[in-house]
Amino acid sequence: MPGSNATDLTFFLDTDHSPFVLFDRHGVIVYLNDAAEILLAYVDKRELFDLALSYAPNDFGARTTPMELHYRQLNFYAVTVAYRDEEQIGIRLYYRPRTRSSQPVDPSRLKTTNINTILEAAIAHFSMKNPTRFDLLTDADLPEFKLDQNGFSKLLRRTLHLFRASADLHISLTMAVGESIMIDHTRCPIVRLTIQANGRYSDDDRTIKALADAMRIITLLDEHRILFDIPFIQE
Amino acid sequence: MACYDLHIYIPKEVRMQNYATRSETVQQIIKSLNLTRTLYVSSIIIGEPWTGKRTLVRHLFPDLPTADGHDQEAVEALLGQTDALIIEHYEKIPNTQRLDFEDKYVIAIADYAGNTKLLDETFAFIYHMPPLRDRPEDIQLYADLYRQEATRTLMLDTDISLEGDILDIRQNLRSLRASIYQEVLLQKGNRDALERGLYHYFLDRLPEEADYHYHLGLFEKPLLEAGLHVYGSQLRLAEALGINRNTLRKKIHAWL
Repeated sequence: MPGSNATDLTFFLDTDHSPFVLFDRHGVIVYLNDAAEILLAYVDKRELFDLALSYAPNDFGARTTPMELHYRQLNFYAVTVAYRDEEQIGIRLYYRPRTRSSQPVDPSRLKTTNINTILEAAIAHFSMKNPTRFDLLTDADLPEFKLDQNGFSKLLRRTLHLFRASADLHISLTMAVGESIMIDHTRCPIVRLTIQANGRYSDDDRTIKALADAMRIITLLDEHRILFDIPFIQE
Repeated sequence: MACYDLHIYIPKEVRMQNYATRSETVQQIIKSLNLTRTLYVSSIIIGEPWTGKRTLVRHLFPDLPTADGHDQEAVEALLGQTDALIIEHYEKIPNTQRLDFEDKYVIAIADYAGNTKLLDETFAFIYHMPPLRDRPEDIQLYADLYRQEATRTLMLDTDISLEGDILDIRQNLRSLRASIYQEVLLQKGNRDALERGLYHYFLDRLPEEADYHYHLGLFEKPLLEAGLHVYGSQLRLAEALGINRNTLRKKIHAWL
């Protein structure tokens, strides 16, 4: 256990922003800090254990390896793997600092919106040039919330355009149960919009990320999928 | 939670007062514009002149104030006064970057795209109104509408036929309408009207084209075409016109 010989370091590890997990030789978790608990909501512990074994130093000690890791909206730029005996191995993942919009959300831009209306308009717009079949899973009872309507419409148009070669497109729009994001020191529930196909273009990813960031929307740009976590602001 | 396959419903024809279309693309534009009417978003419709952009917008949004892009100050003034507006000839605005569309409902209309990158950054929705040549279903629809309009306007008792290659769509709806009015006048013109038409035709061309034989074709060619259509054979036509069969054959050879 950490710090068992002298000082108990558990408190300090728990308050660390970076996830840390200690495994035994069989991949059973011996200890994990609070940040790692959040991480394990997005990644299987077996995958983390495999990651630790893959990037462990050749001999006892620690090794830090820079790498891009993405688990949904959690992005990491490096891992450190350490072990001092054959019984336990620890892995620490380093969060990539999130680029925050320098300006707070301008409340005057936020209008009470039925997001389904914007989605429907964007699909009608996209369908003009693309014979794509849509498979929609939407929450028709989703309450209205405040959104930059022009900005979000632009974001959606550009995002759908990345799927212009797809014959089928799966779209889901739901509340992300139990999840939230901090907006200007206020915890906001999340509306999750997922657009998925067999593949997509990525030529506009940077602009899409910038547009989303400006609206405090968390973006996940996968090979087959784009996910937006939209703050559900009602006040 | 609703889960369903989305099939965009396209009716065979959309008719509003003074606006009609059978084009799926135009119907999608109408649908999308209707969906966004309660939102604060900016949209632009780009298309060749006379494709019906302005007519469509005016009929969807008859109460919105309009500014013309030829006058940037007027556009800026209207933007300052109202939350919802139409901007015609958007491509003519000298400095579009001075315009602030935030928190506005804007529908811009442009004959061409210009700086596409800037349009991409400015507008939430960018629609392309197809030219009439890409909307064959609308050519016939509008030809029928204009024919009815022309026979009504010119107070004609009977309808006309629009057979053959007489529909001019080079300038989209504008030239289509003109070609139909021209055809209606020609088909329903009486002898006096035709003579007056020919009189002005010759006035325009003489003395430069003083060629009797060439101008004779104005009379003989349509007479022979109509005659063959009615009588079916040269023999019967020659008899009906009271001319020699060899003479008729020579004229047919010369004109048809």
